[in-house]
Amino acid sequence: MDRTRRSESKVPGHYHLRLFVAGDEPNSRKAREVLKYLGERHLQGNYTLEVVDVLENYKAALEAQILFAPTLMIIDPPTKTRIIGSLSDVRRILEVLGLPEAEENP
Amino acid sequence: MAERTAKEERSVSKDPPSKRILISKTSTHINGLDDILDGGLPSRRATLVAGEPGTGKTVLGLEFIYRGAMKGDPGIFMGFEESAKILRENGRSLGWDLSALEKEGLLFLMEPRLDPDMVISGRFSLKPLLSVISGKAKELGAKRIVLDALDVLFGLFEDSFRARSELHQLNRWLADSGLTSILTLKPRNGFPSGFFPDFLYSLADCVIHLDMRIFNQNSTRRLRVVKYRGSSFGRNEYPFIISENGIRTVPITRFQLRHKPFGERVPSGIAGLDEMLGGGYHRSSCILVAGEPGSGKTLFASAFVTEACKRREKVLYVSFEESPKALMRNVASAGFDLEPFEKTGTLRLIASMPEATGIEEHLIRLIDEVEQWTPHHVIVDAISACERMGGKQVSFDFLMRLLNFLKERGTTTLLTNQTSGTKTQIEISGNGISSMVDSVIFLSYVFGEGKTNRVLQVLKSRGSKHSNEIRKFSIGDKGIEILDPYVG
Repeated sequence: MDRTRRSESKVPGHYHLRLFVAGDEPNSRKAREVLKYLGERHLQGNYTLEVVDVLENYKAALEAQILFAPTLMIIDPPTKTRIIGSLSDVRRILEVLGLPEAEENP
Repeated sequence: MAERTAKEERSVSKDPPSKRILISKTSTHINGLDDILDGGLPSRRATLVAGEPGTGKTVLGLEFIYRGAMKGDPGIFMGFEESAKILRENGRSLGWDLSALEKEGLLFLMEPRLDPDMVISGRFSLKPLLSVISGKAKELGAKRIVLDALDVLFGLFEDSFRARSELHQLNRWLADSGLTSILTLKPRNGFPSGFFPDFLYSLADCVIHLDMRIFNQNSTRRLRVVKYRGSSFGRNEYPFIISENGIRTVPITRFQLRHKPFGERVPSGIAGLDEMLGGGYHRSSCILVAGEPGSGKTLFASAFVTEACKRREKVLYVSFEESPKALMRNVASAGFDLEPFEKTGTLRLIASMPEATGIEEHLIRLIDEVEQWTPHHVIVDAISACERMGGKQVSFDFLMRLLNFLKERGTTTLLTNQTSGTKTQIEISGNGISSMVDSVIFLSYVFGEGKTNRVLQVLKSRGSKHSNEIRKFSIGDKGIEILDPYVG
């Protein structure tokens, strides 16, 4: 498990994301890239990203009932919806994060 | 590191399985199924169980895991449709304590979450699924695994190419894992178009179809093995039921003709009839008493029952027409008091409505009863009522299978058959089962000498000479008496 910490303190508007990946497979790599971009651009770096490699930690996957990689869970703000796949549709992810108004300008 | 593991696993599996001459099998421990599969499912291979909703796929999968666990083989059940809680409840209703096996580490019900509010964005793989089952399988030392409702899982893939490639990976993983697996799916459900069935069929070493049909208001479940690489298997459609403790099929070995030879003579309970038959019925033979309504068929059966019970031989009386009470009351008026035999347990009366259940249930119930109680003789009164189970063909199926089973056991069987006014030979000899019947006694009425006379005739008696006379008989309060020959 490796953590990318951008902000330690729990402040309002802080996002805690958990991404389940399968090693370094392309879909997982792509999802990490998207999240990095999205975090800087739309969350202004105000987020914590936890990356769990299911190939090394099956118990975490079992506990969270993860079948697919990559799978993104939004821990904070608590969000029931999980996002599966390489996160190719940034607008959809922003919707789930509750930022539907955010403009997408690549 | 994970990549390396995957490569290592692949290199281990280079040994081509096709080189094995004899394939090894894993017993399902499911009643009758191993006979159809000529020993069981292919060990360390995938078996596909396909069928529409409600055909019994989940029960079959769960029973495979449950029975394996009971015999000490740990197993994993992963259902993509039902929660572990529901599976435990289903198990309980079949008398299976899954929780106890879970606690012992012999069984694991994996609960994958397939949220309806899951968002799919981009491509994904099933690697976590494989990683989880690998980890859990190692932990338990699992030998068996079931992935139930694969259609639900693969329905999430947008295109058939992705689905195929993931399924290939799953299949390769299963082959490398050394687990004996069952994959279940609904053929018409969920899959991207063009995905099913050829591709899936080609992956599995064994393919089983389940279906359920409603026929004359009775549902009949059937199982058919469509394919079994490297093995022989029963090629028919096999009826099965989901009984109170799981799947029951009537094993195929029971349909082969391995009848016991006739035994010594046993009295029919009617002195004059014994004489006509050259000494009574044969033990292990099948006797048919046919006649019009009211001609005395049930009384002939009762005479035989009384005589057998007096010798303390056990008789199972299957009545499709009357309740045990009504039957005993009716025959008592002719001097046959069956009640004491029933009380002491030499006679067992089973009454059931032919239309109440499908033939499988009737058949399995009777077979169970015969196997557990081991009666010397069985009475079926009347086989004409069996048509109410769902028609002529159904009745024929039922009787052929029942009689075959009884003949293999060497159980003496007496059948009654009601004929209508216009008696054809076929009807007298009973529903096309004449090849199974060894002796036929035909009861009828004739008008003569200014009155109606009861007459009987022995139409057939294998293994002995018999009288071909037409004899009058009477029914009084002391039973049946054979009188003079009838001369018209």
